Amino acid sequence: MADLAGANGNRENFRVVGKPNLPGLTSYAMATGVAKFGSDFTVPDMLFAKILRSPYAHARVLSIDSAVALAIPGVTDVVKWDDPIFSEVGNDPMAGTKPSFLLNEAHKEGQEVGAIVIAESEALCEEGLRALKIEWEELPFIVDIEKGLDPDFPAIRGQEYDESGTYGAPTITKEGHPWMVQHYPEDPRKVGNVSWSTKSDGDVAKGWSEADFVLEYDVNVHDVVSLLPNPQASVAWWSEQNMYKHGETLRIEGAVGRRGMIAQMYGLPADNVIQEGLFQGGKYCDWGLRMSQEITPLLSKKAGKPVRCCNTREENFDMCVNERHAHIRLGVKKNGLITAVEDSTVIDHGAPNSSEMTTYDRDWNGYYSLKCENIIQRYTIVDSNRSFMYTCGQFVPYSWDMITVGLYLISEKLGIDPTEIARLNLHGPDSQKDTRPVPSFEACLEEGKKLMDWQWHKAGTKRLPDGRLHGAAFRYQMCPRHAFLQYFTKLEYRDGVVHLPTQGPIAGWFGTECFTMIAAEELGLNYEDICVDYDYRAQHTDEAGGSDGVTGHGWIVKECANILKKKILDAAVREAEIEITRFGPVEMPKPPSPIKGYTADELDIADGKVFVKSDPSRFVPFSSATSETITAEYGGNSPKAAWSTEFGRKLDTMNTSWCEVAVDEETGEVEILKYGVVIDPGKVIRRTSLESQIDQVVYFSQGAQLLEEYILDPETGVKLNANMIDYRKPTTLDVPVVDKGVLETRAGNGAYGASGIAHNLANSHMIVTAIHNAIGVWVDPPATPDRVIKALANAAAEKGVQK
Amino acid sequence: MNNTTPPTSLQAASEQAAAKIAAMPVRPKVISCPICGLRFISYDDLNGHYISEHPDSIPPIAVTLNVNGKNCDLIIEPQLTLKQVLQFHLGLTGAKEMCDRGACGSCTVIINSKPALSCNILAAECDGKIIETVEGIALIPKWKPLIDAYCKWDAMQCGYCTPGFLVAAKALLERNPSPTVEEINKALSGNICICGTYPRHAQAITEAVEFMAMEYANAVERS
Repeated sequence: MADLAGANGNRENFRVVGKPNLPGLTSYAMATGVAKFGSDFTVPDMLFAKILRSPYAHARVLSIDSAVALAIPGVTDVVKWDDPIFSEVGNDPMAGTKPSFLLNEAHKEGQEVGAIVIAESEALCEEGLRALKIEWEELPFIVDIEKGLDPDFPAIRGQEYDESGTYGAPTITKEGHPWMVQHYPEDPRKVGNVSWSTKSDGDVAKGWSEADFVLEYDVNVHDVVSLLPNPQASVAWWSEQNMYKHGETLRIEGAVGRRGMIAQMYGLPADNVIQEGLFQGGKYCDWGLRMSQEITPLLSKKAGKPVRCCNTREENFDMCVNERHAHIRLGVKKNGLITAVEDSTVIDHGAPNSSEMTTYDRDWNGYYSLKCENIIQRYTIVDSNRSFMYTCGQFVPYSWDMITVGLYLISEKLGIDPTEIARLNLHGPDSQKDTRPVPSFEACLEEGKKLMDWQWHKAGTKRLPDGRLHGAAFRYQMCPRHAFLQYFTKLEYRDGVVHLPTQGPIAGWFGTECFTMIAAEELGLNYEDICVDYDYRAQHTDEAGGSDGVTGHGWIVKECANILKKKILDAAVREAEIEITRFGPVEMPKPPSPIKGYTADELDIADGKVFVKSDPSRFVPFSSATSETITAEYGGNSPKAAWSTEFGRKLDTMNTSWCEVAVDEETGEVEILKYGVVIDPGKVIRRTSLESQIDQVVYFSQGAQLLEEYILDPETGVKLNANMIDYRKPTTLDVPVVDKGVLETRAGNGAYGASGIAHNLANSHMIVTAIHNAIGVWVDPPATPDRVIKALANAAAEKGVQK
Repeated sequence: MNNTTPPTSLQAASEQAAAKIAAMPVRPKVISCPICGLRFISYDDLNGHYISEHPDSIPPIAVTLNVNGKNCDLIIEPQLTLKQVLQFHLGLTGAKEMCDRGACGSCTVIINSKPALSCNILAAECDGKIIETVEGIALIPKWKPLIDAYCKWDAMQCGYCTPGFLVAAKALLERNPSPTVEEINKALSGNICICGTYPRHAQAITEAVEFMAMEYANAVERS
């Protein structure tokens, strides 16, 4: 599984790769405020646009009278959903199909619907929106997915949405979801607002018969908001003047890295779309473009001026996790070995066109990391008007913690350390039948125990000197690496310097820095020697599918760098043979080259020199090794990663996370005493950003489990806390110090055996499990003090009733 | 290569920041009525026009903001926040808007030596006040070690909230030149980073403080 296929995959000595504290290429731009994000762009004579948002969870616009709005000085236009101009724009290919770009029906509160106001300022846009006389038809809505299970509840979406593709999922046909039809033909097709999907592996009946006892438990995963930092915005304008191609040219800023998609939507050749901004802001795998990032070219064309459209915080309140409620039964032998898994989950399907990532696809979860092959997953999927999720989020795959909780409950029942239960149940590197230990897991486990001074205890049995209850939890997962994207890299040696042309988006994972380090390593250069040329037309992109894709893309860069190196050495040999320098008609003898007479195989590059391997005193400066301009290109898939092809059935690089909490029974306050993460990313490429990624994932996990709560009014379906005061993210005073252990087993198959780290460290229930270990009671996240006290009181009341 | 290639050194970034400050208008290019578009020679003329022609409307106001050491006379709509004026009237993008209600600190600037949230303050309230933004801080050699340390320690991921943190850090160090980690975390607790870079800020600030103290000691020794 390690990087054996590529050049220097097993390199032992690293000069550049793995180095900490190399400043990011764009860090100074970001720190000093000169980096421009979409909402930062302003253009002279620019107009502003604001899109009408539904105040109802589900409603249809029957009519809009815009006369009063249009009479406001400075309001230049009101574009309604039935304006023929919308036929000029195609749908975002990533978002799938919908009847029209702007609809007159909203499927969640806050959804864009009905009309767009264009005006000379944002304030005038808002005044214009307020002045619209809108006739609404309120429609039945579901924000409580239990309510959606009622077969008598009217269908909340038309059949056209059952035929639409959505983020990351195959197109649904009239016969049902093709993936479901293929894999689960026995499932009933959709009824009302509910779909079903059942996946069964192994012999579950046999699994139950082998079990000595059955554990039954619930895992409730609540909604978490992705809360992208920057307002999703764009500004666009049209021009006949262009640099690269004749014809009408569109300049759009804000849809960073999606120039091709915008070109496709507007039927333009990609060369006629200019986009110079690089900075996208954090995405956390929330990849989708918002309407505010797509609509400005259309509005600019109509207005004949540049148009800017910018979402507010409330308008950027989309989902990182849609809620799901799992009821799980485990068949378990006396020694703690799991023999059968039954997962019955009810999932919020979200509003139409919301991402279906992991809604239907059950492979991508933790169950297949077990030796137990008898697994049945029954999913009940409920359409709702709760929210919208673009692509996915940091927490995908969601189901890993179903196993974290299960292993913990087995350990509680049997009085055995959960790390031993995990060790017993985890299958070997190659398959679920493989009983060998996974070296990476064993290493992460042992290191984690040392890091935490791990001493397990049963729930509710340890009190700290200050009187609070102590709890601890552990989880393991596989280190992720994307391998489903095609990557491309071009390197160029020009005027003695190696150039890496790349486009954005720059979104926080320092991908280009990693690629630069890999290229420098392979070319015998320093990090600073590689010149990164940011060019929106470059085929190479920083994106790489996010942080977990960087090591796969890095593998492509490594191969490309070796191709370039060979070409440079070949050219240096040719250059060494030249005996005469020509300046027009003048010929001058050239001093003999110190590397003349050697073949490319006898040469190498290091320390800014091309030198003879057998006699390093014979060299020429790298910068003048050849006067030729040399390019190297390499593209395609990196080696297939077990994470994204085997979904846990094969295990290479692993990680363990650990958490200790103190819970005050009087106040319900939870304090994280210690949070430890031991990862094996295979090989560290850029240490500083790798460690920073760990902090980021822990921050997401902590926020989700202790603070963040998305609240909808059940009576109206309206969001009640769509702002950053009432929807609480952790601050510098909340976050724990994360103790980190970083191992390098080189067991991954990205560059040098590297994997990623982000996705599978994100957890929805490890801190909650530690709280249970402290107080012996489950608290559904977020475990806010009031919920902890309530859970304790309920448990006490139940005990009283039982007595 | 396009013309938005980002600066990869502090010097290059500072040059871009300096260019942005130099480009800030010191007086309005045109004084015009936002309602009917008529042009005027002075603000008083515009104000008079409002009284006679648009008696039901609130006229724009004239303010002078001292931004990064430069006096800028502006005629602005009275409801504009300082953040909006910095971006839309002065072309400065260092103060960012994340929460739009004073909850995240991304728009932090320094007003009369105190950190303040520019999305929560009307520009009208800042008339005659001295305002520092991250672009101005980037030009001051004293703060080079702070910015260097931020970049060295990746005290940023996506970078959107970073200027707000940096301004808050500068304000902290102005009033407390050698803060403890606890004091740093407390001072930055009004700034939200969705990328979760919090531990990096204390690390960067602590290192910058050490470097600045060493530089100061060396300067004293030299003198």
